Amino acid sequence: MTQRFNRRSLLRGLLGGSAVCLGLPALDIFMDGNGKAYADGAKLPVRFGTYFWGLGLTDTPTGGTRWVPTKHGHGFEITPELQSLAAVKEKVSVFSGFRVIGDGKPNIVHWSGHASILSGTAPVLTGSFDAPSFDTRIADAIGGSTRFKSLDLSPSGKVVNYSTRTGKAFATPETTPLALYTRLFGEGFQDPNAPNWKPDPNIMLRQSVLSAIGDQRLALMADVGRADQTKLDQYFTSLREMENQLSIQQQQPEKCESCVIPKRPDEPKRSASVDVVNANNKAMARLLAMGLACNQTRVFNSVHTPGSSETYIAGDSKIYHQYTHDEPTDAKLGYQPMSSKLAGMVMQGLGDFLGELDAIKEGDGTLLDNSLVLAFSDTGYAKIHSLENIPMILAGGAGGKHKSGQHIAAKGESVTRVSLTAQQLMGVPVGEFGSGAMKTSRPVSEVMA
Amino acid sequence: MKRRLIELAAAAGALLCFSGAASAEWSKTYVVEWNEAAMYYGAKTGVIDPGADCPKGSNPEVDWVGVLVKAGYSEAEAKWLRNPANPSRSAVHGQNQMAFRGKDRANVYMHPETTPDPGLVEVSGKIAEGINLDGDKTTGFSSPAGEKGIDNVFYKTLGCWKTYRGPPRLSSGALTMNDAMREGSWTVVIVVAGKGDDPMNDSEVDVGIYMSSDKLVKDGNGQVAHDYTFRIKPDSKFEAILKAKSSRGVITSTEAADEVWLRDPSYTRELQLLRARISLEMKPDGSLKGFVGGYRPWAPVYKGWVDARGPVIEALTWVQLPGVYYALKRNADFSPTGAGGQKTHISYAERIEAVPAFVMTPDASKVATSVVSYKASAPPEPPVKAVSFKVIDGLVPDPKVPFGDALKVYPVPSTVAATGSAATANGGR
Repeated sequence: MTQRFNRRSLLRGLLGGSAVCLGLPALDIFMDGNGKAYADGAKLPVRFGTYFWGLGLTDTPTGGTRWVPTKHGHGFEITPELQSLAAVKEKVSVFSGFRVIGDGKPNIVHWSGHASILSGTAPVLTGSFDAPSFDTRIADAIGGSTRFKSLDLSPSGKVVNYSTRTGKAFATPETTPLALYTRLFGEGFQDPNAPNWKPDPNIMLRQSVLSAIGDQRLALMADVGRADQTKLDQYFTSLREMENQLSIQQQQPEKCESCVIPKRPDEPKRSASVDVVNANNKAMARLLAMGLACNQTRVFNSVHTPGSSETYIAGDSKIYHQYTHDEPTDAKLGYQPMSSKLAGMVMQGLGDFLGELDAIKEGDGTLLDNSLVLAFSDTGYAKIHSLENIPMILAGGAGGKHKSGQHIAAKGESVTRVSLTAQQLMGVPVGEFGSGAMKTSRPVSEVMA
Repeated sequence: MKRRLIELAAAAGALLCFSGAASAEWSKTYVVEWNEAAMYYGAKTGVIDPGADCPKGSNPEVDWVGVLVKAGYSEAEAKWLRNPANPSRSAVHGQNQMAFRGKDRANVYMHPETTPDPGLVEVSGKIAEGINLDGDKTTGFSSPAGEKGIDNVFYKTLGCWKTYRGPPRLSSGALTMNDAMREGSWTVVIVVAGKGDDPMNDSEVDVGIYMSSDKLVKDGNGQVAHDYTFRIKPDSKFEAILKAKSSRGVITSTEAADEVWLRDPSYTRELQLLRARISLEMKPDGSLKGFVGGYRPWAPVYKGWVDARGPVIEALTWVQLPGVYYALKRNADFSPTGAGGQKTHISYAERIEAVPAFVMTPDASKVATSVVSYKASAPPEPPVKAVSFKVIDGLVPDPKVPFGDALKVYPVPSTVAATGSAATANGGR
């Protein structure tokens, strides 16, 4: 326990001649050993998002694929489990044959896959990444001029998100359409198209609180251990972002031709059944799309269903996760029929999500044309938690940079190539991504204009 | 090719060193790319279809509502508990409530004999893969090629269980475990060394099976790459050294090894084999395929499945674990203390497939060209953990639910508990 700071400590400084105090988060040093008690933007903006769904798609060892198209490049056919993407087929690229290369690290089931895609490194422990998720890099690059640097969604209702700056703490998502609406269009929302815009007199920020408490902040950072330094760093970063947001709210927003404030949604229905999750997913996608159109954020991360998906068909006694493991491959069909059916239903969520972005006209195209969404899962063949052939999809035009409408078939190449591609399409100045055998400086150039 | 050159060089070196010696030494080294319990699949299609091994197919899916009702729940309660819309199910940890279906709500995973034997369909076919362990051709199965006396009661006992059943490399259990191995969970290497001048026909062959800390490497097709280098890791337990001979490329034991330990491709992880024998074929493509067999203790097999989260295993593999317990106990066919002793072991065979690799001595100074024990140089190691989950009594404790007696009766809503006659008959549980 540090001598100078405890859980009641306030960091103090002067701001505009007045004293300011800043409370602290719950740091390890304040806890007992168990951690249970205290001791002119003429150009339309391009948005980026990640979209995750759990349990992969069907691709069995006997060759019973239900999602990998046979045709490579342009003109690929829509396979059964990609049916929901038919309407936006020319706006997506499908990546097959990419894998996680763990360098001997064990496959942490329902975790290693997406952790590797997002952080570029196969994790050592479940529940943490060994590097930040790359969406935060993109948020740093393009998210600084909006009210929210990024927004996180979890339509299944589970408090699950995989966006992280530290690898240890993950973003807290909005879990219902109502919560997302309130966040986007509730208190603090300023209509960019309002005729008589005035700055909010309640926002009186003139100088950074963090600057005011600078010396004490440095002293505290020096006093605490590495884990707490990470927490404090994230805490101060979030404060800085909040200050930036307040600062942005002091400025008159640019008009957004597509921005129409949506109707407040009803109280959500809560259930893990796939119809309810898809309904919430669609409602949240619609709200998010308008949030993007109204320039409230440019980066988002949505988790349709977590890795160990609990979703199920209403009335059935088995959940999707169980089907992937216990359902035998049908000898005639060559695949697991119920698993495949559920995969198609879960993928309907992605189709709906992209459809909502594509429904908003923006300039000569749609919001989807001015976005890039990396959709992916945690596993290839879910029955064995395979890290081979993890389905990945890039959707949207990225403002004209994405040569979409293609099927890119790799043979055992690292998933990080697709992650790097997404970053470079978004204009992030990054030349390589990943570590170990997954370190790559080769984006998938075929999809880059 | 690199590997063949090394073999030639080793042979040439041996000739130079031992000029005038009657025979040249040879060695071949491999890394295991697949291993699984030898479970002959008697059907022509699918992975669970009816076949000569299991005429009614694999063990059918369990009616869990019926199981709960038999254990004293009302049908309404049982249906409520099994409905994924209710909060008694976990996608990851299954349903802890399922454990408490023994007499007086005992945990059946820990105390399987508190519930009657629910049964487990056994193999009724006459063909099995494996090895004649006892030398008696009048007992056991016939091999697919017609060899008599194959001892594999493990297969007879569990061969219709869905997790083990299927064509080679396609049963769900084998796929899961081998995927874990291929992703780096463990590595097994094999050294084969002979004294004669023809590896295919040699009366004096030694086979060593060792662990390696070097992880398997996959090629672009997702298969284990050939000709990578692996160092032997001295291990105080996992090591097998067997005396054998080769005939037409098939290496067979000339005597049983009293006791060997292998890395088991299962949740048990540790495979003790008594009276162990091998039957491995050196294939023209350079690979090594065949069996290692012996008598393994059956109790750790059951415990391995329990520790892998009892309710998850039961739901995913369509079995009642007490049925596995009773079947293994009933069929065990070997006593280490003699014919009259307690039969704690069961005859078993493991199917092994290995590809050429450079297997180096532990200090990586040279390719291992002889079969020796490295146990003496093994550092002390902590016991191998059964599984990575935090499992207590076959269950993963749910932090939101008090663990212990409280779990014996999940708080089924009173409106549900009040319905159905069984609820009344069993005190509302």
